[in-house]
Amino acid sequence: MTRARLPELDWPLLLAALGLVLMGLLTVYSATSIPGAHQGLWMKQLVWFGLATAIAMVVAGIHFRIYDSLAWPLYSISLVLLVAVLLVGSSKMGARRWLDFGPVQFQPSELAKLATTFVLARFFDHSKIDLRRMRWWLPPLFITLVPFALVAKEPDLGTAMSFPAMLVAMYFWAGMSPGRLLLGLSPVFNVALFFLTGSVAWFAGLFATLLVFVRPRLAVLLLFVAINGVVAYETPHLWGRLHDYQKRRIETFVNPENDPYGAGYQIIQSKIAIGSGGLLGKGYLKGSQKALAFLPMRHTDFIYSVVGEEFGLLGALTAVLLYAVVIIRGYRLAVVARDGFASLLAVGIVTALFFHVMVNILMTVGWAPVTGVPLPFLSYGGTALIVNCVQIGLLQNVALRRRES
Amino acid sequence: MPPGPPRQVKDQRFGAFVAAVLAGFGLVVLGLLRLQVVQHDELTRLAEQNRVRLDVLRAPRGAIRDRFGRLLADNRPSFDVVFRPMPAESAARARAVLDGNWYAQVAALIVDDTSAVRRRVAEANRTGQTAVLRRNAPFAVMAGVEELRADLPGLDIQVVPLRSYPEGAAAAQMLGYAGQINDQELQAREDAGYRLGDLIGKTGIERRYEEMLRGEDGAEFVVVNAMGKRVSGLEGSPPRPPVPGHDVTLTVDLDVQRAMEEAMSGIARGAAVAMDPRDGSILGMVSRPQFDPNEFSSGISFARWRELSADGGNPLLNRAIQSAYPPGSTFKIVTMLAGLHAGLAGRNTHEPAACNGGYTFGGRRFKCWDARGHGSLDIVGALQFSCDVYFYQLGLQLGLDRLGEIARDLGLGARTGIDLPAEARGLVPDDAYYNRNFKAGHWPRGVLLNLSIGQGELLTTPLQLATMTSVVANGGRAVRPHVVKAVDGVPTFRIDRPLEAGLASTPEQWAVVHDAMKKVVDAGTATAVRIPGIGVAGKTGTAQNPHGNDHALFVCYAPTDHPTIALAIVAENSGHGGSVCAPIAAHVLRRVLLRDSLATAPPAPRVPADSTGAAGD
Repeated sequence: MTRARLPELDWPLLLAALGLVLMGLLTVYSATSIPGAHQGLWMKQLVWFGLATAIAMVVAGIHFRIYDSLAWPLYSISLVLLVAVLLVGSSKMGARRWLDFGPVQFQPSELAKLATTFVLARFFDHSKIDLRRMRWWLPPLFITLVPFALVAKEPDLGTAMSFPAMLVAMYFWAGMSPGRLLLGLSPVFNVALFFLTGSVAWFAGLFATLLVFVRPRLAVLLLFVAINGVVAYETPHLWGRLHDYQKRRIETFVNPENDPYGAGYQIIQSKIAIGSGGLLGKGYLKGSQKALAFLPMRHTDFIYSVVGEEFGLLGALTAVLLYAVVIIRGYRLAVVARDGFASLLAVGIVTALFFHVMVNILMTVGWAPVTGVPLPFLSYGGTALIVNCVQIGLLQNVALRRRES
Repeated sequence: MPPGPPRQVKDQRFGAFVAAVLAGFGLVVLGLLRLQVVQHDELTRLAEQNRVRLDVLRAPRGAIRDRFGRLLADNRPSFDVVFRPMPAESAARARAVLDGNWYAQVAALIVDDTSAVRRRVAEANRTGQTAVLRRNAPFAVMAGVEELRADLPGLDIQVVPLRSYPEGAAAAQMLGYAGQINDQELQAREDAGYRLGDLIGKTGIERRYEEMLRGEDGAEFVVVNAMGKRVSGLEGSPPRPPVPGHDVTLTVDLDVQRAMEEAMSGIARGAAVAMDPRDGSILGMVSRPQFDPNEFSSGISFARWRELSADGGNPLLNRAIQSAYPPGSTFKIVTMLAGLHAGLAGRNTHEPAACNGGYTFGGRRFKCWDARGHGSLDIVGALQFSCDVYFYQLGLQLGLDRLGEIARDLGLGARTGIDLPAEARGLVPDDAYYNRNFKAGHWPRGVLLNLSIGQGELLTTPLQLATMTSVVANGGRAVRPHVVKAVDGVPTFRIDRPLEAGLASTPEQWAVVHDAMKKVVDAGTATAVRIPGIGVAGKTGTAQNPHGNDHALFVCYAPTDHPTIALAIVAENSGHGGSVCAPIAAHVLRRVLLRDSLATAPPAPRVPADSTGAAGD
């Protein structure tokens, strides 16, 4: 093995990710600098980062073919763990998400995310693939639905939703036409539009337009008209049968301001923190909203609010820019990778990252429901940091072997 | 080359991904611009001059009323002394203000020790949420707080609805009580939106109908000044008003309940259930000893709770549904019906052996309660005078299966499904039961003799006895005991159908049972319950109690021509049903069924115990 020249890593991606980790360490230090229970957590985060880097290097070193061949075993193990977490997992704030291994807590949903990506990439990387046929498009749906349902049951809707997001991106990358993709997603839009508008008319109009453009076969057309008919009919009925508190949860999901002392409290404090930061911010360590716990979960889920408060628009946009570099370079890897599995793997991983970034940041600015998803690289938390670094490791894995096929 | 799309198609799709990324981050940028540029000044004002605090507006719990709308549970305002945390930028100042003197003064005001106050204030400052320092403060404390509030920043008074039970101890076990949620309940119900300090139904109707009774707390963002005092509401974020819980209307008739309370007042331990035999609605339910649920509203001490729950009398126990007793001779109704139903007996059937004070079976003598013997009786006379010997013989012919089947058809041996928590199951033993306790298939037939007169392993709750009496009164139609009639604002609320199918016997067979039960009252063991002008049908019982004196039991229904009330009464350790429980029933029935002028007339003179056997079984 020679080390005469730099390895063929994707350097912009790597540097952007490192920049985000650095930003995270600085912000965690600031967010936990006030006296209280969380003081000194940045040291732990630094230790986690060391560990995560080591793991990421190992992950990058192993040939992606190994992941390809281990996809199904890993997937099976992760499903078992997801069931285990529902049965014996430890609970925090009403959700069972963790398995306890002595001092270390482990979140099986993260392993499931990676394993599902491997399985989907393996499945889609097939010479005979024809996504117009049910034999090809149905299995991935099931592969994704099982971990999705188990994670949603925890409940961890934020993480759960990243499964379908990944699936949609990989369907698209594997060649499904946009029209068919929209047709397949139509029941989801159907329900979403009902909750947003309170009527089925909006969806009916859009659906009809879609059918004109896509012009599916008669059988498919009838199938989707039927499915959407049932969904449209059942949604309000289902709604009527829910308990008050279940309705409240869904309403909060659609409109967080409806729950002013739960999720809404955090959102309004987050908005004040970000908004008062202005263009240049209040200065590092000078944020006032983060003090006295007016901003709960300031070092984990709401760390972006501290960024916005102390570094202002400048800092917030820097973070966005760094994420954009990671994500766009990641998708670029999918283009340049010669191997189908590696290419699809990159799409899955990057989409999951993108989804988490969007859900978290839009939450802190008050435009997405509070779902308890950490911000990749920035939020305090060992498991999340390790997983994010593993994701970077996998992307570098693809980068290193992009000429192989 | 591996399979896959050509580079050009890949580039197009990559373009789509980039477009999605740009759109997503564009949205983020818009959100940031909105907050950090457009709303910057407003949000800075909020952040720097004032702070936003969240005040919870507690929702009142739904009221509980009797069938005519009379209040059984309601809310009254109570006043909490609270600490409101101070805004962030005055944290330094807060430390200066909240000095030793502050804590000493506050502790003295609310009569608590300083360290407890310190702990709660620290918690409030850490979480930014209001802390309750003294719940349900008396007027003197409130006056003191009002007077010194200006000098004691952070201190405030908060009005919260408190549960109150205007009838006091009446029907206390059935109503249950609502108290502050504890840690376990909080963890279990977190998903339903409960939070610390919430009231939650702990027992009885309060618990069973928790979801209906509980309202939905409202909330308001208030802008506070540097000292934590309210300046205004938050613009653009109107308060969400609390949604009160649903009012619940019971099937209970407060008049019946009160009459039962009076009648049972002399019983140390026992229970009584009044049911409408037409549909199983509970008209009244008493369990003694009692407690006052108002005690729990403002929180009771652990010592007092121990006293209430662990004491031998255990007033929290609803004996009407949670205690199971041997039914004693009231069970002879079942044996009789089973005999008629099986065709083993008719109105004029005499059993082979006349009663000479006992019956010998398997080399053992089974006594009749009346050692003098009843002679040869027909089945009506046998119930009228509660002759054990007659029912021993009938039970032996019936066998365990047929006896048990009728008992279960009448609602014994299984939970009735009443809409109250923690109902006891009772026990009507079957083959499987005895096979577990004896060598399989070799249990002694002697147990049948005990069962047929309501002793032995049989266990029934007073509620099951009232259900049995109701089914008998209405001629075999099953009823579903229930206490809630309607929930206001929930038009879809309905009572579940009965769990049992009921009992299909011929009208002739029912007539025999009804006549016999009427004779029990007119000229049998329960003459104490005779009421002029009203036909009453009943059955006394005395249940042997291995732990002490016998329990007295009585079941009845009235009026006999169209029954509107069925009663079951159990008095623990009180001796005979006829002499103890029948007068209680008489008192209730007079108050409920007679016209006002007669209702308060003195009870009919009790028949001397040894002349007609009124004191008997």
